[in-house]
Amino acid sequence: MTRQPGMIAPPLILGLLTVMAIGIGSSWIGPPRVLAALFGAGAEMDQVIIWTLRLPRVCLAILAGAALALAGLLLQRVVRNPIASPSVLGIVDGAAVGVVLFLWIWSDEANALTVSIHWLPLAATLGAGCFALLVLVLAGRDVVQPARLILYGIAMAALAKALVMVLIILGPVYRASTALIWLAGSVHAAHWDDVVILGVVLAVVLVALVLLRLRMDQILLDDVSAGATGLSVAASKGLLLSFAVVLTAGAVSFAGGIAFVGLIAPNIARALVGLRAGALLWATPFVGAALVLGADNLARIVAFPLELPTGAITALIGAPYFLFLLVRQVRHG
Amino acid sequence: MMRSGLFWLALLTGLLALASLHLGLRFYTPAQVFLALTQPDGSADDLIITGLRVPRTLVALVVGAGLATSGLLMQAVFRNPLAEPGLLGVNAGASFAVVVGFAFFGISSLTALSLLALGGAVAVTAAIFALVASFRGALTPVSLILAGVTLAAFLGALTQVLVVIDEGTMEALLFWLAGGFADRDTAILWALGPVIVLLVVLAAPSAKALDALATGETTASALGVDVFRLRLLILGLASALAAFGVVIAGPVGFLGLVAPHLARQMTGLDHARLFPRTALIGASLGVLADIATRLVVAPGEAPITAMLALVGAPILVVLIRDRRLTTGP
Repeated sequence: MTRQPGMIAPPLILGLLTVMAIGIGSSWIGPPRVLAALFGAGAEMDQVIIWTLRLPRVCLAILAGAALALAGLLLQRVVRNPIASPSVLGIVDGAAVGVVLFLWIWSDEANALTVSIHWLPLAATLGAGCFALLVLVLAGRDVVQPARLILYGIAMAALAKALVMVLIILGPVYRASTALIWLAGSVHAAHWDDVVILGVVLAVVLVALVLLRLRMDQILLDDVSAGATGLSVAASKGLLLSFAVVLTAGAVSFAGGIAFVGLIAPNIARALVGLRAGALLWATPFVGAALVLGADNLARIVAFPLELPTGAITALIGAPYFLFLLVRQVRHG
Repeated sequence: MMRSGLFWLALLTGLLALASLHLGLRFYTPAQVFLALTQPDGSADDLIITGLRVPRTLVALVVGAGLATSGLLMQAVFRNPLAEPGLLGVNAGASFAVVVGFAFFGISSLTALSLLALGGAVAVTAAIFALVASFRGALTPVSLILAGVTLAAFLGALTQVLVVIDEGTMEALLFWLAGGFADRDTAILWALGPVIVLLVVLAAPSAKALDALATGETTASALGVDVFRLRLLILGLASALAAFGVVIAGPVGFLGLVAPHLARQMTGLDHARLFPRTALIGASLGVLADIATRLVVAPGEAPITAMLALVGAPILVVLIRDRRLTTGP
């Protein structure tokens, strides 16, 4: 199993992209210097730049990509269709509503937060959870029709976007700018605090999923067969869905909604390592992280010194891929 | 009965347009508005009424009617109640073409930009039409809309990239790209507004043919309708309406979805009755949404897209619930 190139390639590529990502910036730092600084050697200036400025951003991109990719994997399992993803189920924009409401309620007159920023992911999770539930309730028995389910998600996402816009305008200017930063789907305002929170969320969910990997394989069967293998189908779906909501919310609260990563990454991972949940849980986060980091690198290089929105780059890759999947599904009935 | 419904709708549109002149950050009495319109003396209030409120009301009326009619036409051709310029990516195509022309080729002539927008809109409509044709009916209405939304996301991302790269033109472009009826270029309104009104009127004679098309391609052909030509013509008209609306007000979604839906609720499926009602409902909704942008978050102004999404998204949900949508046309 571990000999498969599909298992080794994603972490290797991610490693290369990471070194490159750390090097890119207002001054280019070559790979040897990056590696030296990472291991505590090299010039002091390099160490300062890398450890305080560049590494948090890179880590956040990696974690957000991994979280979105995993969320996509879970949703595609639950819906049993590769066209599902967090951004099209309304969860991303739902999380945004949670974040804006959080900033709205817990800011004082001077626009400082009156509670710890550590609660932000919780607010995002609540928002994402509410919208996920809303989509599911609205869809009712349409849940089994992925195309229709996604359209419900699109409608709810539009509603959530409208709410976010109105809430931002009602709030004071500072809040608007903080909110707009991550709405654009960028990772450039990263702090180590953010990295730690998202890292913990991801680690906890990942461990839980590894323990539940048998369920993830069983759920691929149709409901009746899955039930016959001893799986409580509804409970498992609910569980996986909740994990997807938590992961998406975590990513959105610190890096913004980076479009289409949750769609593409699980599909690439499946092409690399097959259908087994164990292997996918290993490969998918790496692929997602590599995608976001690669897109972020591109976003910073293409129009240097200008910086493109990372989400726009991933959308340019993701949208055609979604169309391809859609057309293929229609072709094959 | 038929006439009276239309009469009340026209009256409602007129009243909303009048209300739009009075309401906003500053409230005016009818007497003040009347004086400002008939004997302007150049005071600040006059400037607000004649210089800001009148243009934005006209933009809302014209663009609202245009987008609503565009949606109705697209729904008829694709036989899909979810089809509209926003969800099918046609607005995004027009905006993208304008941004490319404006930011990259320095085109600023109104005629050229309008033609570019038309080109972008037609290109996307043609792509959607080709997609539908290539599947020969296997593409369900839901899947078609998914394809359109994805196309819109793609073009939106491209537009975003272009706008960031071209810093110099960013400010003006961003305002226009956000979509809205307030503070639009009145020169564009005077040039394209009449064109939109003309196109809306020109669409009406197709009512009989569209009724025939609704019964099915074979029946329509048997009734003497040249189905292919009709589709091309109507889609061209729909694209032009969307494109010119985009040039005036930027991309505005959901109007093309909501207005035809409400019109059908009101009067059924007869296109001769749907055309005027859809246009009037679109105009009313446009003005209503514009009034809402001024009042909901006063003293700030909400984006028109947000106001329309608050109404449009629930209606979209209602439409998706329709069982027939997954069985294909």
